Amino acid sequence: MSHTDPVILALRALGEAAGAATDAGHAATCVHCRTELARLAEVVELARRDGPGEFLETPPPQVWGQIAAAVGADPAAMISAGNGAAGAAGAEWAATAGDSGGGAAAVPLAGRRARAHRHVKQGRPRRRLAVALAGLAAGLIIGVGGTAGVVQLAKAPATRVVAQIQLSPLPEFPQWQGAAGTAVMRATASQQVIAVALHAPRRPGFYEVWLLARDGVSMISLGELNAGHTGTFIVPPGTDLRNYSRVDVSLQPFDGSTVHSKTSVVRGSLPVAALGGGGGSGPAR
Amino acid sequence: MWVDQVSDGDVSGAFSQGRPDALALVYARFGPLVYSIATRSLGARSDAEDVTQQVFVSAWRSRDSFDPARGTLGGWLVTITRNKVADALRERQRESRVLLQAAGAGVRAPVAPADQVVDKIVLADELAQLPQSQRLVMVLAFYSDLTHDQIAQALGLPLGTVKSHIRRGLQRLRSRLEADGVAY
Repeated sequence: MSHTDPVILALRALGEAAGAATDAGHAATCVHCRTELARLAEVVELARRDGPGEFLETPPPQVWGQIAAAVGADPAAMISAGNGAAGAAGAEWAATAGDSGGGAAAVPLAGRRARAHRHVKQGRPRRRLAVALAGLAAGLIIGVGGTAGVVQLAKAPATRVVAQIQLSPLPEFPQWQGAAGTAVMRATASQQVIAVALHAPRRPGFYEVWLLARDGVSMISLGELNAGHTGTFIVPPGTDLRNYSRVDVSLQPFDGSTVHSKTSVVRGSLPVAALGGGGGSGPAR
Repeated sequence: MWVDQVSDGDVSGAFSQGRPDALALVYARFGPLVYSIATRSLGARSDAEDVTQQVFVSAWRSRDSFDPARGTLGGWLVTITRNKVADALRERQRESRVLLQAAGAGVRAPVAPADQVVDKIVLADELAQLPQSQRLVMVLAFYSDLTHDQIAQALGLPLGTVKSHIRRGLQRLRSRLEADGVAY
């Protein structure tokens, strides 16, 4: 009998019941397949242990300054490297290294510091639970405001999927035609959570998730996507999702402004019929 | 098409040749990895910043001792980071011992940087290197409870693409852990 299909081994490592019974039987008795399955399952276990894996942090800009000073590196390269580490892809760094100074100097702030100015938006306290794409399985890692630390919840409450939609680029933004995203809304007894994942290039600035009202003017900021372009956000309790039914992702410059940049990358509408009442029937937090 | 990253091999090559711009490139690529291990191990951000600085300065000064034939640049930097973290913890312990003895209290055992912490951050780092659509698939496969066909549906990707992303993605994460991780 031939070895189990590597795809089936990978899916089984993720916990899916993939493949036929003969695959399971073979994988249980064949040393090669059993070892391979165990190798991959270790990766899955590590990734899922304590929740999402994407919580790399970018060193603050002064760190590179100190390194460059210590080794006598080119100060122009400092700024570029700082930006590269702050999220630009390496190739973009390489491409801009030659003309550093100009474009690079326009982004002097690490995202965290710029975000510190963004507490209140639309007269509404901000939900500052930017989470790596989590909230879905047990064990949330929640970076509260980026600096307050890590909160681990022993067990996430049971959730149900309320809606799952695709986010698509808008015709008026041809530069984003390759972008795509998905939003999954889940509800627990007390709150509603939206997980957003974006497929878009890294660009100077950061991606921010909004709920847009039907009037096309009112909006609620849910928070920023992380470096992996994913995020999970609590919908402010009491939000009328029948009105704030559109999920929008914007590209925001590091300019300290708290309003929507008017650059929408992708957008999608939640199915109003599925939403029912407000954002969570539980007590306001 | 999205701009893709400079490969780790390119970064490593520039570094081992001692090219003048190489340290900036290495820092742009591995700064978050080193800093994240340091912050997670040390807690205090100021200590983590010091360690990050020490790691890259030390790496640059001892670049002649890096041999790409014997291991990856990422793994080499992870080793230096763990050593610097251990130094910082020892220093912190020495300081607290003085304080605690002055206060008449017992001395706590040192806290070593946990291998799991390092491995988890190496994994996060490799995940961040994946092409965007593949990363999206892997993140959903790990952290949502969607099956691969639901992921294909959610992202509007062909089923075969999702399967291939998952198989190659897991293999790639595994290889990186074996090269740069601690426990593998």
